[in-house]
Amino acid sequence: MKTDELIDRLTANLEPTPPWWVTRRILIGLGSGAFFSALLMIFWLGVRPDLMDAMTGTMFWMKFAYTLACSAVLAAALIRVARPGGSMGSLAWALAAPFALVGGMALWRLSGADPATRQDMMLGNSAEVCAVFIAILSLPIFAGAVWALRGLAPTRLVLSGFVAGGCAGAIGAWIYAFHCSESAAAFVALWYTAGMAVTALLGALAGRRLLRW
Amino acid sequence: MDQTEARLRALMLAGLAGDAAAHRALLAELGRLLRRYYARRLGFGTPEAEDLVQETLIAVHTRRATYDPQQPFTAWAYAIARYKMIDHLRRTKVRPSSPLEEADGLFTDGGAEDLVVKRDLDRVLEQVSARTRALIRDVKVEGLSTREAAEKHGLSETAVKVAVHRGLKALTARFGGARED
Repeated sequence: MKTDELIDRLTANLEPTPPWWVTRRILIGLGSGAFFSALLMIFWLGVRPDLMDAMTGTMFWMKFAYTLACSAVLAAALIRVARPGGSMGSLAWALAAPFALVGGMALWRLSGADPATRQDMMLGNSAEVCAVFIAILSLPIFAGAVWALRGLAPTRLVLSGFVAGGCAGAIGAWIYAFHCSESAAAFVALWYTAGMAVTALLGALAGRRLLRW
Repeated sequence: MDQTEARLRALMLAGLAGDAAAHRALLAELGRLLRRYYARRLGFGTPEAEDLVQETLIAVHTRRATYDPQQPFTAWAYAIARYKMIDHLRRTKVRPSSPLEEADGLFTDGGAEDLVVKRDLDRVLEQVSARTRALIRDVKVEGLSTREAAEKHGLSETAVKVAVHRGLKALTARFGGARED
């Protein structure tokens, strides 16, 4: 019987499978993507010249924490959706927390500000490029995530593409924060979030095609 | 059934640790379960069903690292089988004969006895041509009427009756004769 022959061939020279294989593959994919993304940021956009000063203020760390928290939750979600039958589960709620915190902070700052300055707080000096730069920086990371998923077994391809895109966007935004000199919570809540949302949606659109196995 | 889950899970864990015999036993048993699973959806004896069995076994093998030992094994294997089924339907744009939602618990219904009978039947039916095999399955195992089987295969009712009769006669001659020796 042909199927028996197939089983014989598959099981010849069976190697043990290390635990944490899924996690390791995803971290390798995201990590190597982030490495190229960081190089892109350094040589194309440049690290902000006042980085040392900025690191003494709170706004740099707010951006840092916001994007890193989203990255961590979405990386954990990626490990879940990479397995057959996997879904985000409770991580969908965990993801809502950083958005709610930064959104709340932005609203609180805006409501306490002089109405004349509100538009500046929201648009800063780089509103038109921020989301686009984040999306571009996220591309190598998305490629790494797709490479990782293609060797795993996601069964919900649109969701997996969405999570992969969102995670790439969040890590890309984290890297972008080393270039970006904006310091208003409203700006971050709007444009960083937009950058991540755009990459998540593009990932969802590409998921069915890119992630099939 | 809990027994199936416990047995398959133990084989899977041993296979992941590098036990080739356990892994082999797992794939062999999964092959039988998958054959029944796909046959119910695509029709017994169809070449697509056997292709999907093999494709799914390859996926189970090459992607075995994605099994999380904290989770039920049958749910994991079923998710792969279902994914391959949907992927196949999407590719061929054929509507499934039964809703996928009803497909739950396919690895759990039917006991070991059922499986052994099914396996023996598979072997016996290999002796006749693919079309005759499909007809015998539909009429004698699945319980379709002669007319339903005729419609399904685009044959006349007479042709179905004749093919089933001749197929069974050939099998009786072969296996019945062997017993009398």
